[in-house]
Amino acid sequence: MTITWRPFSNPLGWGLKRKLIVSMLLVGIVPLLLGLGLAFLQGSKEIQVVSGESFQALATEAARKLDLLVAEEVARTSRIATHPDIIRQLEHHRDLLQTADQKLSAAAITQLRTKWAERDPVAIKGITENRTALLLRGFYAGSQNESDLPLPQVVRAATRKLFITDVQGNLFAALTTTPSFSHTDSAWWAGAYNKGAGQLYIEDLHFDNQANTYVFSISLPIMDSLRYEVVGVLHRVIDAKEFFSPSTHPIRFGRTGHVMLIDSRGIVLSCPILPTGVQLSDPSLIPKVTGRQPGWVTADSDGHGGQGTAIIGYSLLPETSRATNGSVENGAWHTFVWQSSDELFAPIRSLMTWMMILALVALFLLATLGFFAASRIVTPVRRLQEAARLIGRGELQEPIHIHTGDELEDLAVEFNRMNKQLEASFAGLSTQVEEKTQEVQYLQKATDQVLDAVPTPIIMVDQQGLVQYMNRASREAIQEQAENWSSRPLFDLLPIDEEHRQALRRDLRLAEDGNALTPPRQAGEPMPKQARDPLNQSLGTAPSSSRRELRIGPHLYQYEWFPLESRSGAGKRFGLVLRDTTDESRLQDQLIQAEKSGSLDVLTAGIGHELNNPLFGILGLGEAIQEEADLDRAKGYAQDIVGHGRKMAAIIRDFTGVATRESKSQRIPVDVTAQLEQALAIVQTSHECLGLNVQKHYVPVSPVTALPDQLRLVFINVLTNAIQAMHGQGNLWLTTEEQDDLITIKIRDNGPGIPKQHLGKVFDPFYTTKGQGEGSGLGLTVAQRLIKKFGGEIRMESPPEGQGTTCVITLPADKAAVRKEEPCVSS
Amino acid sequence: MRLIMTGFRSRTLWAALLLACASAYSLQAKDLAPPAGIAPEKVADFVHAVLDADRTIYTNQVVNRMQAKGIVSAAEHWEHENALPLPAQFLQHSGKLVAESGRGIRYRLISLWPIYQRNAPTTDLERRALESFAQTPDRPFTGIVTSGRKQFFQAVYADRAISAACVKCHNSHPLSPKRDFALNDVIGGMTITIPLD
Repeated sequence: MTITWRPFSNPLGWGLKRKLIVSMLLVGIVPLLLGLGLAFLQGSKEIQVVSGESFQALATEAARKLDLLVAEEVARTSRIATHPDIIRQLEHHRDLLQTADQKLSAAAITQLRTKWAERDPVAIKGITENRTALLLRGFYAGSQNESDLPLPQVVRAATRKLFITDVQGNLFAALTTTPSFSHTDSAWWAGAYNKGAGQLYIEDLHFDNQANTYVFSISLPIMDSLRYEVVGVLHRVIDAKEFFSPSTHPIRFGRTGHVMLIDSRGIVLSCPILPTGVQLSDPSLIPKVTGRQPGWVTADSDGHGGQGTAIIGYSLLPETSRATNGSVENGAWHTFVWQSSDELFAPIRSLMTWMMILALVALFLLATLGFFAASRIVTPVRRLQEAARLIGRGELQEPIHIHTGDELEDLAVEFNRMNKQLEASFAGLSTQVEEKTQEVQYLQKATDQVLDAVPTPIIMVDQQGLVQYMNRASREAIQEQAENWSSRPLFDLLPIDEEHRQALRRDLRLAEDGNALTPPRQAGEPMPKQARDPLNQSLGTAPSSSRRELRIGPHLYQYEWFPLESRSGAGKRFGLVLRDTTDESRLQDQLIQAEKSGSLDVLTAGIGHELNNPLFGILGLGEAIQEEADLDRAKGYAQDIVGHGRKMAAIIRDFTGVATRESKSQRIPVDVTAQLEQALAIVQTSHECLGLNVQKHYVPVSPVTALPDQLRLVFINVLTNAIQAMHGQGNLWLTTEEQDDLITIKIRDNGPGIPKQHLGKVFDPFYTTKGQGEGSGLGLTVAQRLIKKFGGEIRMESPPEGQGTTCVITLPADKAAVRKEEPCVSS
Repeated sequence: MRLIMTGFRSRTLWAALLLACASAYSLQAKDLAPPAGIAPEKVADFVHAVLDADRTIYTNQVVNRMQAKGIVSAAEHWEHENALPLPAQFLQHSGKLVAESGRGIRYRLISLWPIYQRNAPTTDLERRALESFAQTPDRPFTGIVTSGRKQFFQAVYADRAISAACVKCHNSHPLSPKRDFALNDVIGGMTITIPLD
C-alpha cells in the first residue's frame, strides 16, 4: 500500500504548512520591525539631543571667543579714545565751541562743511593732518603703540574708516577724506554721545556705500580728562567678513558643520557658506535661534536654504550684545552652529541600512528554517490525513508508521487501532450486504418474471415521461418499437393519435398532482360500460377520447396511471396499466343489443298495459252509445270517451317524450322562464285546472344551455305531477332565482305531499302513485335524466304532514350566451 | 510661575528704587538751585549718604534675601541670565541713568584693582584719594579738578565690601587683578563729581 501525496487542496483557506510558515515569519517580523523602528526613533532622538547639546556648547564657546575678539578690538580702540593728547585737544575744541560766539561758530562750521564736501585742500588738511589726525594715523600704523599691543594686520586691513567727531557730531579728525562731515543725525553718534554721558555703541551690520561692503562699526565716546562728559566720539567702521572670518571660518566639523554669526534680524555677519549680509532663508527660524540664553532647537529648516529637520545650537555674545545698537534690547549678536541633517543622521541611517540588511538575512533564515520546521510537522499530519481518507473508504490495509515521538505518533497508534476495529466490524457487515443484495436480485428477477407473465401491459415511466420499464406484454403490444425502449419518451413510443396522447398526458399530470385518478366526468354523462337504461340509449354517446381508453393496433385498452414508490431524492415514478378491453367491449355491445330488445318488450308491454285500460273503456262506452237511445246519456258516454282519449294522448306523449331521439342535438341558450310559461300553458290546456291559483315570482335570469323542447318537457312533467297531486285545484308557486351562476327553478304545490319512504324512489322509472292509466311513472325519470344532461340537478322536497311538495331544479347559467341570446321558439 | 514672580518682583523693586533715587536727587537739585551757599562737600555728602543707603537696602533686603530663599540670584550678566544686577552694577547703572538725565552731577565706582579698566581712576585726585584710603578710609577725599576750562568739585568716598557677594565676585572674577579681599575691606571708592560753573 503506497500512500500518495496530494497537495492540500482546500479552496477556502491555507494549508497547515503555509500557515505555520507565515506565523513563524510574523512572529519574527513584527518584533523585528518594531525593534528596528524603535531603535531608529530612539537613535534619532539621542543623536538630536547629543548633537543639540554639543552644538549648544560649541555655540557658547564660539560666542565667548567672538565676544572676546570684539572686546579686544573695543579695548584697542579705547586706547585711542583715552589718549591724553586727543582728550586735551578735544577739550580745547569743546571750550572753543562753547565760549565762542554761537552765530559765528555756526557760520564757520557751515563754511567748513561746504569746503569739506568740495574737497577744499585747506579744509582737508585741517582735518586729516591736524595733531589728532596725526596721532590717529600713528595708532593705525602702529607707531603710537608704545606698549606691546600693535594693531594686528587683520584688524588694520578690516578697518574701513577711522575718524573722530567733536562734541557736536562734526568731523574733527580723519585718516582719509571718505567720511562725511556731519554725523549728528546718525544713530551711532547719538548712541555713543548718549546725552553727554557716553557709552559704547556697536552698530549692526549694514552696507556701506563708500566702503562698498557690509560693515559694522564701533563708536567710543571720548571722555574728558575727568571722565565727566563726552568731548568727542571715535568712530571705526570695520568690514564684518574680514574681521570675523578668521575666527569663524576655521571652526568646521564634518563636511558641513560650521559656526556662523548672525544678528537679531537673522542677517549673517559671517558664515563659511552664506555671504555676509543675507538673511537666513527661513524667517520663521530667526526667533527660535535668537534667544537670550544659549540653547539648541530642532527646526524644520537649516537657514541655509535646506529643508528637513535641522539641529541648531545658538548662543548670544554677552558683552558685545550689551552695546549693539546701544543695548541688548535693540539687537544682539548670536552664534549659530549647524550641521547638515543628512550628514548628522548619516550614521544612524547607515546603521539602519545595515540593520535592514541583517533583518532581511534574518527573514530569509526564518523563512527557510520555518519551511523545514513546517515540513517536519506537516508531513506526518498529511500522512494521517491520507490514512484517514483511506480508512473512510475502507482501503487502508497497512498500519500507519509515524515515529515522531509526540502526540502525532499517539494519534497514529489510535488511527491504527480504529482501523482494526472498523475492519472487524466491516467484515460482518459486508457478508450481510452480499446476502441482502442477492435477495434483492432474486426479488427483482421474480418481479420481472411475474410482470412478464402478466398478460396486461405495464409500463413504468419517470417524471419526464421516459420509459424505465416495460413488461413483456407491453413490449408485444407495441412490437414495432420494441427495440431500445429504455429511456425513450413513452408518448413517442405509443402508436396512438394526438387526441389520445393528450388525454394520456393529462391523466399523468393528474396522477402527479396526487388528484383523484378518475378524471372529473361531466355531470349527467352515463358511466361507460354500465348496464344501460334501455330508454336512455340515445343519450349515452360520450366521445371516446374523454374515456380512459386508447387503441393500439386492433386492440382497445383501458388504461390507468398509478404512482410508484421511488427513492428519496429521485424523481417521482409512475406506472401505466393497459387493460385489454377489446373482447369485453364486444361482449358488452352484444349485451346492449340484448338489453335493447328486452327493453322493447317491456316498453311494448307497458304501452299495451297503459293504453289497454282506456281503450277498453272507450270500446265499452262506444258499445254503450250504440245501444243507448237516450241522447243525453249518449252524450255523457261520449264525454267519457273524450276523457279516455285524452288520457291515452297523455300516455303516448309521455312515451314519445322519453323515447324520441332528439332531433336537434345542438344545444342553444334557452330562456328558462319562457319555457316554464309555455309548459304551464300546455299543462293547463290538457288538465282541468279550474280551481288552480298560480303565483309567479320570476326574476330576470341568465339563459341556460339546453335543448328547449326537452327543457320544456321537464317542466311539463313536473307541473303535471303537481297539478295531478292537487287534483286540479289549489295553489301553485313558480319561482326563478339566480345565484352564483346557478339558476334555480322552484315549483311548489300545496297538495298532499310525498311520504318520506317514497321520496327516494320518485325518480325511479315506472314508479308511480297514480292510478292505472293516470301516469306512466316515467315523468320524473325523464325529467331527471334531461336535467342531468344539461349539467343541472333536480330534487323533490316534501316536508312531513302534507304541506305540499317542492320541486327544485338547478341549472348552470350560460353567462357567455347572455348577449347573443335568441328568442326561444318552441317546436 | 516662579520665574514670572521673580521677574515681576524684581521689576517692581527696580521701579521703586529708581523712584526713590529720582526723588532724592530732585530734592538735592532743589537745594542746589539757589546759590544759598551750600558747600559742595555738603552736597557730595548728601548724595553719598543716599546712594550708600539705597545700595545697602538693595544688597541686604533684595539681593541677599532673594538669594537666601533661592528665588533669584545676582549675576554679572544678569540681562541674559534671568538674574538680579550685582550691587556694584546697581550703582553703576543708576549713575549712568543720572548722567543721561543731564543734571550735571555724576558718580561712579573706581578702584585701584578694577575688573574692567574703565573703572580705573582717571584723575590724579582719584588716584590719590584711593591711595589715601589705606590710612584714612573714613574720610572722604575732596578737591577741585579741571577739564579744559571747566571746573568740577570731586569727592571720593571709600567703598567697602559690605556683603559676602562683593568679596566673592572680586576674588573669583577672571579679570580681577586682586583676589584676597575680605569682608569689610576697602575695595575702591565712589567718586561724586559736581560741576562748579
